[in-house]
Amino acid sequence: MRRYTGAKGQSLKTFLNGVWRDHPIFSMILGICSALAVSNKVENAIAMGAGVTFVLLATGLLIAMLRKLIPTRVRMITYMIIIATFVIVVDRVLKALFPDISQAIGPYVGLIITNCIIMGRAEAFYIQNNIGQSLIDALANGFGYTYTLVSVAVVRELLGFGTILGFQVMPEGFTKWVVMAMAPGAFFVLAIFIWIGRSLAGMEEE
Amino acid sequence: MKDKILMIVFVLVLGSILTAALVAVNYVTTPVIEKNEEIATKSSILRALNIHFDPESVEETFAGNVEVRRRGGTTYYITKKDDIALPYAGSGLWGPIEGIIAVQPDLEHLKGITIIRQEETPGLGSRITEADYLAQFQGKRFTEGLETVQPGRSSRDNQIDSITGATMTSEAFISIINENLREVIPVIRQGEGQ
Repeated sequence: MRRYTGAKGQSLKTFLNGVWRDHPIFSMILGICSALAVSNKVENAIAMGAGVTFVLLATGLLIAMLRKLIPTRVRMITYMIIIATFVIVVDRVLKALFPDISQAIGPYVGLIITNCIIMGRAEAFYIQNNIGQSLIDALANGFGYTYTLVSVAVVRELLGFGTILGFQVMPEGFTKWVVMAMAPGAFFVLAIFIWIGRSLAGMEEE
Repeated sequence: MKDKILMIVFVLVLGSILTAALVAVNYVTTPVIEKNEEIATKSSILRALNIHFDPESVEETFAGNVEVRRRGGTTYYITKKDDIALPYAGSGLWGPIEGIIAVQPDLEHLKGITIIRQEETPGLGSRITEADYLAQFQGKRFTEGLETVQPGRSSRDNQIDSITGATMTSEAFISIINENLREVIPVIRQGEGQ
């Protein structure tokens, strides 16, 4: 593995870890529930990715800021209330500004609270690192999560609905693969994505 | 001991600050969300009444075409042509189903129907929201109650094809509509002096 030195090198390493080596979905297999549920349309995937990224950034900022103050014994509950607060903010803002998307992804916004990526990054990273590094880590993980969701959603929307972002892409008379729009399609596509990602990153089963 | 007190103080202070932030967010977003819901309901009423509208000007179209009337505990919406729309609600197979149903001026035939909220199985029961299914209701006579029959078998003017693989939802949906109409139509009849 290459060595990164200095503050800049450290930031780059943090970022690359998030989007590639420690990628939340194909390396850590975290956040799978929402990745399966919300990846049926590209629009929903982008909204969900943006929501998770925002919660990661806000949580990362606050926890890194308070990391010396948070008593060890109550750190979990501290993460929970901080995450819950930002998730409720995302939910309200979506409802107010993008009611259609809010309707489409419904309960999954609330379930960002239980998305293990956020809890996992809080415990593994934000509580031990400074604000700058935490924000970079949050951005990297949010980006990693979002591009996975969007890639899966592109395949599923294209085959399941014949559209991308609502625009007709497939020719008239294209037979829609209904299975892609439903849960089983998500399992197939996500599994293939994890397989490709892991092979490219050269990860071995332990 | 000092640690424990500090711990409690920390949780209380953080909790209060975050709660205050949420109250503020709630205060700012509530009016916008209520407005969105109102527009969603109004456009649903217009669709049930088969009135064409531009998504940008729901409010204007609604105000120009529909009059809101109240009778007892019932609110209904009446157009200049005396078509009447009314909200309905009931339990589907998995959760509440809510929407708007519109009836023709004779109070015997349906004009149209829309669904605002439902939690049926995606891909099966949730197909009750599809235009093809809902279009069947137009012109149906409901005075003796609507009936659900196997897909493709509807022949009489009160029969509705059910959805393949979603018989329970189809039945629940029809009985919600029957119940709501049975309750509300007499009230409207009284109100409109018929």
